[in-house]
Amino acid sequence: MRAGATAARVTAIVAVASLALGLLTGAGGGFEWRLPAWVPLPVVPADNPMSAEKVNLGRHLFYDTRLSADGSMSCATCHRQALAFTDGRAVAPGVDGTDGVRSAMPLANVAYLPVLTWANPNLRTLEVQALVPMFGEHPREMGIAGREQELFARLRADARYPSMFRAAFPDQHGEISLATITRALAAFERTLLSFDSPYDRYRYGGQPEAISAAAKRGEALFFGEKLECYHCHSGFNFTDNQQHARLAHPEIGYHNNGLYNVDGRGGFPPDNPGLREVTGRAEDEGKFRTPSLRNVALTAPYMHDGSVPTLRAVLAHYAAGGRTVTTGPHRGAGARNPNKSPLVAGFELSEDEIGDLIAFLESLTDDRFVTDPRFSDPFAKGSPTPTR
Amino acid sequence: MLRVHASAALAAAALAACTTAPSTTTTAPVTLRFAGAVNGAEFRCGQSYDGVGVTRSRITPSDFRLFVSDVELVARDGSTVPLALDQDGVWQYRGVALIDFEDGTGPCSMGTKAVRTTVTGTAPQGDYVGVRFTLGVPFALNHGDPTVAPTPLNVTAMFWNWQGGYKFLKFDTGSTGQPATTAPPDPRGGGSASGFSVHLGSTLCASPSPKDPPSACQNPNQVKVAFDRFDAAKQVIVADIGRVLAESNVDVNAPNTSPGCMSFPKDPDCPPVMRNLGLPYDGAPAGKQVLFSVR
Repeated sequence: MRAGATAARVTAIVAVASLALGLLTGAGGGFEWRLPAWVPLPVVPADNPMSAEKVNLGRHLFYDTRLSADGSMSCATCHRQALAFTDGRAVAPGVDGTDGVRSAMPLANVAYLPVLTWANPNLRTLEVQALVPMFGEHPREMGIAGREQELFARLRADARYPSMFRAAFPDQHGEISLATITRALAAFERTLLSFDSPYDRYRYGGQPEAISAAAKRGEALFFGEKLECYHCHSGFNFTDNQQHARLAHPEIGYHNNGLYNVDGRGGFPPDNPGLREVTGRAEDEGKFRTPSLRNVALTAPYMHDGSVPTLRAVLAHYAAGGRTVTTGPHRGAGARNPNKSPLVAGFELSEDEIGDLIAFLESLTDDRFVTDPRFSDPFAKGSPTPTR
Repeated sequence: MLRVHASAALAAAALAACTTAPSTTTTAPVTLRFAGAVNGAEFRCGQSYDGVGVTRSRITPSDFRLFVSDVELVARDGSTVPLALDQDGVWQYRGVALIDFEDGTGPCSMGTKAVRTTVTGTAPQGDYVGVRFTLGVPFALNHGDPTVAPTPLNVTAMFWNWQGGYKFLKFDTGSTGQPATTAPPDPRGGGSASGFSVHLGSTLCASPSPKDPPSACQNPNQVKVAFDRFDAAKQVIVADIGRVLAESNVDVNAPNTSPGCMSFPKDPDCPPVMRNLGLPYDGAPAGKQVLFSVR
């Protein structure tokens, strides 16, 4: 009896230890990624290999409102497929109606991100990140902290879930737990792959006419030294944050783009200090992770707090080398923020050039991604609906 | 004074195993009792308490839990021995114990029915006159994957994933000036959308390399507690919310900060709380902890 208990404990310690090592592999086992040949494979944590069964379970959980305290919210409430898995809002309210402080990020190609969310370098895997909206209390999003047993009971009571968990986690005997729920969610999110925009077909797919002449002129501006956009929005996901199977070392980029300067010394609004909130370094005030620009025409409003409404306004922000807020508690000249990236130096754009740049950014919209049935709500009309 | 003596059964087992075992290796059970309180009154879910903070406000708590670790007993000569915690598979894991004063009733509906007000373990036989412990989870256990952590490190109410680690101390209250929930309220009750909360945990735990977990936290926010005169057989360690909040205004929350003090730097609600927890904060020196006392 005693010996058995000890053995179980040793097993638990070994499991924790092996996870703590954070072993990562590039292989998805035998999983079929369905990626174009030019795209490298994502990196998958060794303790959560991909499988079609796990992805299917994760898709159901992603769209299941039972993951929130009052059954009113699922992951998809703030990550809507039609909007490239954003929600069209600056910030979203949680289950108790209180607004969050940062804008829902798009999920296309999150499998390639070495760090997640706007400004938390400690959130490195989708498995762990999933805990934040579920259990966070400041802000309270889905609000199920302290109610995980209730959640497991709700899922067990749905006749479809036990078999889905068994298929997805045969080694764990289909256990319904935080470990399996977060791993299934992460596996589904890793399949949210968007590589079929007109720009992809033009740039990588051998279809030179897939984008307009205006978009091509916009591309030249985007990758030119006058605008410097591509320094941060670089690589095949248009962000300087990436890891993949062909990359030796993950790349991580946080930047201050001159959005605020509330005290003339580089201050950002106190509820959103950026990277400094985690690192404590003064020079990290106002730094946020560069978001991918894939599907960017669908992900308005922009910036970490959703304070820039349109692509045209984003271009105006960068043209001015930072934003000047003239009234209210956040007033200040962002262009003179001492922590601002030196690449946000400002530039002049003609009305035609603005149109060209927007045409280029719109060519990054992947219509197949935002309508792909594999990423859609399995509980929607036409699918069998679980008891709620 | 706590006299720790081997029970007859343990002594017999030790004798059977090795008749020449020196008596100093014989261990015996020890139980440390804790009690939750608000300004001296017993903590109970559903109870309101008057006279809290600088505004002498009425508060209604909705949660009260904390992690205790690195428990040591102090011998008469000032030396210490570690208390080896019982590995009960529920409340204690390695050197960490969860104390849970809430019972899931009334405003504590986010909580659990089970309560836990003791730390149990074994220590070498001897006479002990004091106790020392840490409010917090040791760094080595604080930054793993909580979804596979053993209980009690898998209690989601104590998760602090957005900071990395666990809450070491969690209490939530509604107050006269700030009811615990805002409209529209969570239909299942509970919650603390406003109100005054104290969530203590390590902050500024960035790692030097993105491939590595944090190697240290700039603000560990672990509270070392020592009672060099404590008799575990007769006395209780009291954890009193009211004393922590004594210099706070629980009726207001600094705009654009977390409700109450959630350990984030630059929260104007934090200095009086952190001082009373015996911790330095944003350049202010540590005060004397007043959360725990002995009764």
